[in-house]
Amino acid sequence: MSDHRSGPAGPRLTEYAELHGCSCKVGQGNLDELLSRAGLDGDQNDLLFGVGEDAGARQLRQDLALVQTVDFFTPIVDDPYDFGRVAACNAASDAFATGATDDLSCLVVLGLPRELRDHAPAILRGMADLLDGVGGVVAGGHTTLNPWPFAGGAVTATAHPEHLLTARTARPGDRLYLTKPLGTQPAMGALRVGDGEFGETVREATDRPIEDIGEEALAWMTTPNRDAAVVAREHATAATDVTGFGLLGEATVLAGNAGVGVEIDRLPIVDGTLALSRLFGYGLADGESAETSGGLLVAVPGDGTADFEGELSGAGVFYRAVGRVTDGSGAALVEPKIERVRK
Amino acid sequence: MERVDVTGEVCPRPALIVRRHLSELEPGEELLVRGDYPPAEENLRRTCTKHGFEVTGKQAGNGSTDASAFELKITVTDDAGLR
Repeated sequence: MSDHRSGPAGPRLTEYAELHGCSCKVGQGNLDELLSRAGLDGDQNDLLFGVGEDAGARQLRQDLALVQTVDFFTPIVDDPYDFGRVAACNAASDAFATGATDDLSCLVVLGLPRELRDHAPAILRGMADLLDGVGGVVAGGHTTLNPWPFAGGAVTATAHPEHLLTARTARPGDRLYLTKPLGTQPAMGALRVGDGEFGETVREATDRPIEDIGEEALAWMTTPNRDAAVVAREHATAATDVTGFGLLGEATVLAGNAGVGVEIDRLPIVDGTLALSRLFGYGLADGESAETSGGLLVAVPGDGTADFEGELSGAGVFYRAVGRVTDGSGAALVEPKIERVRK
Repeated sequence: MERVDVTGEVCPRPALIVRRHLSELEPGEELLVRGDYPPAEENLRRTCTKHGFEVTGKQAGNGSTDASAFELKITVTDDAGLR
């Protein structure tokens, strides 16, 4: 997958997990019930925002807010260095989704089975390298033995309070943008079965080599949302990142938090992943396929879209207009145009 | 009725195993699928329905102690196809 294949040979990381990447996230319904039963679903007056958003934010000074988030998951790739990069990129993404990009530090959360302990250095190095690329540091962490592997971290970052974004501030009439194509779940699924008894079936299902599709999906999963966040906080009314609930699931959360409706009319996907999703039953064409370390979903007022698009282009950030915010409720796909994207 | 047990299998293997079994059945025939991996049930329902198969199912009750266990009955219709 990368030029950094430095982990020891032996068992594949993904073989140790039943659920992979962000698809190991607890479902929204279960999470809501959990928060309700624990009494954590009420107002949090001491915070700028908290439970229910991508991260929590506390105002420290008039001109400074602290954003905190934690995210970790099971391996989505076998190479430990790449797993570290994806895990760090995904953990930082929740901070970036709020517009917080400064003073970024990460406390690593790492669990490994006894027989995979030798993978730890490569995972940590992958995390450190990814964070270094976004001006962040590994500030410490906690490691533990665990029956299945997981990695990620608690990330803190700062921003001016007026720059912060949440999912609850989208307004009817806003255009919706997505800053990475979809399809990481079928791309990674194909790699897990590409060499086994179903290899031929999987390879015949798509017109691209599954290794190329996987390489591209990995490149997207290790593309930080930082540059997109810097542009978004100047122009957007709301933002979230697309992870385990898939595009439609995250759009549904945004719609619920903001009390608006969302219509999705375009699905940019990594070329080759649609056929794989159809084979595996992953629901990519329905916006339901889980994404790992996905892009930002950003709501931008109509009169700000030209500047927003221009600045994203200038920063070299991928984007597509994928829908709009309405005065309805819930999120739905409306005859979506499916676009095959190659990096 | 044909039966296949995908207990212990994780995605995307259950969908591929079921697909292989379905490819050997004729219209009107049925396949009973038993499994225990929650995402697989949803993925199997989705992929079979999209390919024209009829899917009915329930939580596996008899003898199973796993709350996530499921059973799906997949019927090959005249419109069903794996392409």
